Amino acid sequence: MIPWRLVKEDGVAHDYGLAADEVMAVRAGEGTSPPTLRLYTYAPCALVGRFQTLGNEIHLDACQAMGLPVNRRPTGGGAIVMGPDQLGVALTLPGAGEDSWARARETMARFSLGLTQGLAALGIQAAFRGKNDIEAQGRKLAGLGIYRAPSGGMLFHASLLVGLDVAHMLRVLNTPFEKITDKEISQVAARTATVRELAGRSDLTLEETRERVADGYRKEFGVSLSQGAYTPEEQTQIRALQAEKYTQPSWVHQTVAVPDTFATAREKTPAGLLEVRVTRAGAVVKAVYIGGDFFAPEGAVADLEARLRWHSADPAAVEATLRAAHAAHANELAALPLEPLAKAVATAVRLAGGGEARDAALYGCFLNPDGQALPV
Amino acid sequence: MGASYPFPADRWYDRSTHMWACPTPEGEILVGIDLLGLESLGDLAYLTLPAEGTQVSRSRPAGSLEAAKMTGELISPVSGVVTARNTGAEKNPALVNHDPFGQGWMMKIRPDHWEKESKELVGGPDLGVWSQQEILRYKEQGWID
Repeated sequence: MIPWRLVKEDGVAHDYGLAADEVMAVRAGEGTSPPTLRLYTYAPCALVGRFQTLGNEIHLDACQAMGLPVNRRPTGGGAIVMGPDQLGVALTLPGAGEDSWARARETMARFSLGLTQGLAALGIQAAFRGKNDIEAQGRKLAGLGIYRAPSGGMLFHASLLVGLDVAHMLRVLNTPFEKITDKEISQVAARTATVRELAGRSDLTLEETRERVADGYRKEFGVSLSQGAYTPEEQTQIRALQAEKYTQPSWVHQTVAVPDTFATAREKTPAGLLEVRVTRAGAVVKAVYIGGDFFAPEGAVADLEARLRWHSADPAAVEATLRAAHAAHANELAALPLEPLAKAVATAVRLAGGGEARDAALYGCFLNPDGQALPV
Repeated sequence: MGASYPFPADRWYDRSTHMWACPTPEGEILVGIDLLGLESLGDLAYLTLPAEGTQVSRSRPAGSLEAAKMTGELISPVSGVVTARNTGAEKNPALVNHDPFGQGWMMKIRPDHWEKESKELVGGPDLGVWSQQEILRYKEQGWID
């Protein structure tokens, strides 16, 4: 049985926590640290994805007023709030050696299985979806990311919502909502899920969730988990990276050459108005929101959105994916005809990629809300 | 029948990273990533490349990327000074996916030790056997069809 180290930490500082993840990935690749499963929580903070622009994603003024620190992850994906109710899962594996290398090259779906198995033990049927989500009942429960270090080591990271203060999240993350009322909070709450809610246990502790997730990885990967701590050498390296990278404005406030852009398209259908909103990063569709007056099961619509997430913006490729996804849910989507949907998606993708698009500031990891529409 | 994975014979390849290095008539080295490397990553969404004048080292990070499957560092196949970077690819990383051996080049390097470092890469008469073995390995692992 392959031995993995289990590290439990709580309330870690943002710059320390991020540095520890990266150092463990590097060292796992070098073979100087064992494969490590780290299950931890941050002291309250907000974290953006590797290539996001901080000011676009986060209300920096609000964070400053709240004393909430911000930082940048080595992994991709969207902006998130972290705190005592969000479980960080960081699995670091070597990139050399036959078995582990094969594992490292598998998709996030593979590495998310430990997490979903742990959730199953809490009575939650969750599954990997799209590029980087774990969803249950069509609602996002965790965001995932993979970072490959130059040493070949791999970091698989997940942020699991054991609980979530939606109002706090909306104060921190930049969304298109002009004001945040109970309606907006309810809307976002309906599109995210927490472990406590889905387990039907308001008293569920983060510690119990952590134990179930650890068990999930133990069973799924057939490994033994021995709880341990960082060695003095690891701690020294973490402190050094914390100081030289994760506390530096050159890392935290960097910008990228490809801004996020978004557009919205509307189509009239026999069932009512259809609205499609697309966020692009250059030639890649990062997020799609499908809303309107039609009635369709939330899971089927969420699947359409998930299949188009992180998808090439090539019109023919988008249409092919959409047609296949729609066909897979033909009965459920009877009230959402393919042709107007395909037209709206194509229009929104095109507008989001053109000069008509506006910079988007609404690509949060746990929300993809409706927003102000562009005229079409 | 699966997709084809050409390895143009006018350049050298890094065995572990699948970055390619192509000498130019001016004695510089164009650098990019091959199709198997891209298969590991998926569609690129973001790319950052080193500024002109940056000293880069073989097997060390020279840039970073976010793709459909992960974020990671771009590992330089050669040591030297960056003389140009493909800003078109930075603004539109899809160029790399669409044309990895042409418009999707990433940077140009004035090499420090090309004669020595090119021997650590795969090229010339060794390329055919190695590339076929790599394609077979990727298929056996289920990474490509």
